[in-house]
Amino acid sequence: MSTLHDNITRLAARHPDLAGSVTNAAGGVLTIEPARSGAPSARRAGRWIHSAYDPLREAQTWAAAHASACRPGETVVVAGVGLLYHVEALRRALSPEIELAVLVPDVDELQDALTARPIVDWCAQVHWLSGTAEDIAEQLRRSGRPLRCLSYVPAASANAEFHRVFEEALRRSLARQSGGQLTIALVGPIYGGSLPIARYVKRALETLGHTVQWIDHSVHAASYDVMSSLKDGRNRQVMQGRMANLLSQWTLASLAESPPDLVLSLAQAPLTLPMLEHLRKKKFLTAMWFVENYRHLTYWQQMAPGYEHWFVIQKDACLEAFRQAGARHVNYLPMAADPEVHRPLSLSEDERRLFGADLSFVGAGYANRRRLFPALLRHPWSFKLWGNEWEGAEDLRSVIQLNGARIDTATCMKVFNATTINLNLHSTTGEGLDPQADFVNPRTFELAACGAFQLVDHRSYLSECFTEREILSFRDFGDVPATVSQWLGDRAARQAMAHAARERVLAGHTYVHRMQDLLGQIGLSQPDRVGAILRGERQQEVLLTRCGDDQPLQALLKDCPSGQRIELKDVAARIRSKGPISALRREELMVLMLDEYRSETRDLA
Amino acid sequence: MRPESNREPRHLVIQLARLGDVVQTLPALDALRQAHPHRGLDLLCAAPLRAVAADSGLCDRVLPWDGSRWHAWATGWADHAGDMLREAEECIASLGALSYERVYTLNQHARSRLLAQLCADPIRRMADTETWEEQMRPWAQYLRQVARERGRNRIHLADAWCGMCGVRPQGRAPLCDPSAGNIPQDLAAIGEREGLWVALAVGAGETDRCVPTGMWSRWIQTFLSQRDDGHVVLIGSGQEREAGQAVLEGLPSLLQGHVWDCTGRTTLTQLMAVLRRCHWIVGADTGPLHVGTLVGVRALGFYFSRARVHETGPYGTGHWVYQSATTQQPNSWPVAESIALICDDRQSRSDDWTLWRSHMDEWGVWFDDGSASQASEATRAAMWQSLSPELCRSTAA
Repeated sequence: MSTLHDNITRLAARHPDLAGSVTNAAGGVLTIEPARSGAPSARRAGRWIHSAYDPLREAQTWAAAHASACRPGETVVVAGVGLLYHVEALRRALSPEIELAVLVPDVDELQDALTARPIVDWCAQVHWLSGTAEDIAEQLRRSGRPLRCLSYVPAASANAEFHRVFEEALRRSLARQSGGQLTIALVGPIYGGSLPIARYVKRALETLGHTVQWIDHSVHAASYDVMSSLKDGRNRQVMQGRMANLLSQWTLASLAESPPDLVLSLAQAPLTLPMLEHLRKKKFLTAMWFVENYRHLTYWQQMAPGYEHWFVIQKDACLEAFRQAGARHVNYLPMAADPEVHRPLSLSEDERRLFGADLSFVGAGYANRRRLFPALLRHPWSFKLWGNEWEGAEDLRSVIQLNGARIDTATCMKVFNATTINLNLHSTTGEGLDPQADFVNPRTFELAACGAFQLVDHRSYLSECFTEREILSFRDFGDVPATVSQWLGDRAARQAMAHAARERVLAGHTYVHRMQDLLGQIGLSQPDRVGAILRGERQQEVLLTRCGDDQPLQALLKDCPSGQRIELKDVAARIRSKGPISALRREELMVLMLDEYRSETRDLA
Repeated sequence: MRPESNREPRHLVIQLARLGDVVQTLPALDALRQAHPHRGLDLLCAAPLRAVAADSGLCDRVLPWDGSRWHAWATGWADHAGDMLREAEECIASLGALSYERVYTLNQHARSRLLAQLCADPIRRMADTETWEEQMRPWAQYLRQVARERGRNRIHLADAWCGMCGVRPQGRAPLCDPSAGNIPQDLAAIGEREGLWVALAVGAGETDRCVPTGMWSRWIQTFLSQRDDGHVVLIGSGQEREAGQAVLEGLPSLLQGHVWDCTGRTTLTQLMAVLRRCHWIVGADTGPLHVGTLVGVRALGFYFSRARVHETGPYGTGHWVYQSATTQQPNSWPVAESIALICDDRQSRSDDWTLWRSHMDEWGVWFDDGSASQASEATRAAMWQSLSPELCRSTAA
């Protein structure tokens, strides 16, 4: 009897279909070579996926590092097959109440593993998950157990796309099923482009039923602005730096007032690294949505270890750069639109005249725009330029509106709605189109959500967000005048495309969708904290079911409102409202005592 | 005879604060024992401080309170509410069959009040709560006012706690003779040799109350230059080891043979035994000063920042305190003056500092700087009359 045959027989006991597939697989994905310790090790495409010295010991170290975080009742899902050393070590390190499942994206790889070494008793204590990534995610969701995803990177990287799709499907399904209410402290910037996004995020989180404590630093903008008037650059920097520190401490003090489940910052939020480290020590969960081009704004390099979760609008090299800088969890989360704000408007004729044009652009006067836009002058169609920072652009003076004043969101929406073709050119510090044109700017989603027709410079991520039937793009700015002329003459085609783009945004690119994804991702990596809340495990009904025949606890929970998330502080508040403590029952006094210690646990002093 | 059984009426004092506060609770225990000789008397305090009260013999039992476990249960509530509640219940039950006739809460925070309710006789609880609180209220208000306004009060905290418990101070300082058997071997020589032994508390609970280590090095150097037979024992918690090391490094190596560094190396019981072997304790940290007085050592304190001699000066007779005139970190220190006091019993003032000596009378401890002792006594008597009129009447009768 061969090792492969024995292993397949063991596998067939619980997974006959998978065992059949492995039997018929070709194998040959892994190159098996003995390690120095004598145990078989393996390479894939020339790269070692287990230690060339001692794969057993390496796997034990990996398992020990992850096992301590796993909780009874969870299902731990491992990405990465290889020779399964890490799976065996993890199974042995975990208690029996923790289920272990392994993703099998490639049966050829599994056949190689089952050929190379015997899998014995632990095989029966592992769930082998095969099929499409979406089906596996759905199967796990239906199990109803808290999920914790681990990745054995050397083996998982060969099937990165499968794991990405799996994780996304899982995140989405967690977001869909979520019924719990989180308390989220949202830390906004003092000023700038991420400030309106903070407002959209706030509304989205509230739409999802979460409670948002907005720590709004925009109220300090005037003071910060006054410091900009200092002529001495060093003094200006020192003063603004001190103010940022002060606001960071203010954030901390605000968080201490009522500790949230999650502290979510938007780019430029004034939270310094020492403050973030302090929050981490106090077990606060922090996340940052960095809605900026990571190549242009680089302060993230110093801040990367500070946040527990980073969400960025770029992928690949960006994700790697954040990891290299010390980010523990970093995920891609593109921009979006807020349909409450970015929507079709009914405009009067006067408004259409004032805000409308054949071609319009709204935005600041970046170098590339100053260089390219003169080519849009002297055409048979009208062109208007809205926005600020156009000082010195003499050749564009005739088309700059409102003397280059900054325009507010309401005016911006009117321009979008009144314009026949909205030009959307991503900013860059160079003179032409962005040479590293990857992420899609918020303007793309906002225009689409307005049902406004737009012409956007091509981005490599654009096709993930919109099809060619939904968005019109260009790769060469020299093509723009002709494209504008062509589409100005086809109203029906413009309307069809704009309508399709709006439908697409409403279906998948709103801030509500983004926040679902963001929380789903955090929930996946924190199944016992945020994940548990999102799954509704802190709702009164679930708590009542869980407390079984514990009469005193049942009585305490029944006093609380149904359909609500109930935490210790809520039970305590209910008890306090009953009157003087001398009249309280013993278990009520005990709950109040626990609550006294709870309130001290995350004391930030 | 005091009752042995839990069924007999017992009283409980709750003191959840720090080391110095537990020591300063002992006069109240002493007075309660005298006032209610037929009642059992227990103290509930932080578990690590249990030894202070246990060795004093002023109460029958010391119930240890482990706040860290309550922290853990509070954190675990979200996932295991039932289990956490059960464990909390077991913790309370493990303290004994709690059904106290009276519970005195010396800390004015919610935790103390909740514990009082949990420990009180459930039948009497509702009826008596208001009566107890009524009696304690004037003193509680007085202490709050003192903390808030830092007024010209002259009633020591330990005596105010007597008032809260409805008893008059005994006019004597509690004394305790700790067991000597468990001092670490390498510290056993402390106090064995002839000479003047001074324990020096190098740190303080809060940063703004710490004396600079350079000042301590200078103090030791000056002291040892005047007393060939002088010995210094550095004391402090584990967090103060670095400070102890810095003090040592600031000394000439020839003098280091006269200095023992005990920082972070003793349990509370061992610290008490070490202090017992010294003649003086010097420092700015009130906790060790109080422990020193408890084991019969003379104390000399440098009080600044929020520390005030009249409220938390060393309890007993013959202790000294240099009180800084400002609440800021002092610019100069009474080094030569304090050493003259210890070595030659010579009193001398120092710029920016006033010198106070402790005395005991029927109202407890008081401090004088040689200027207005009669006025001070009259003030304290009037304060007692106003806060505990019935107690003063019954004592007079």
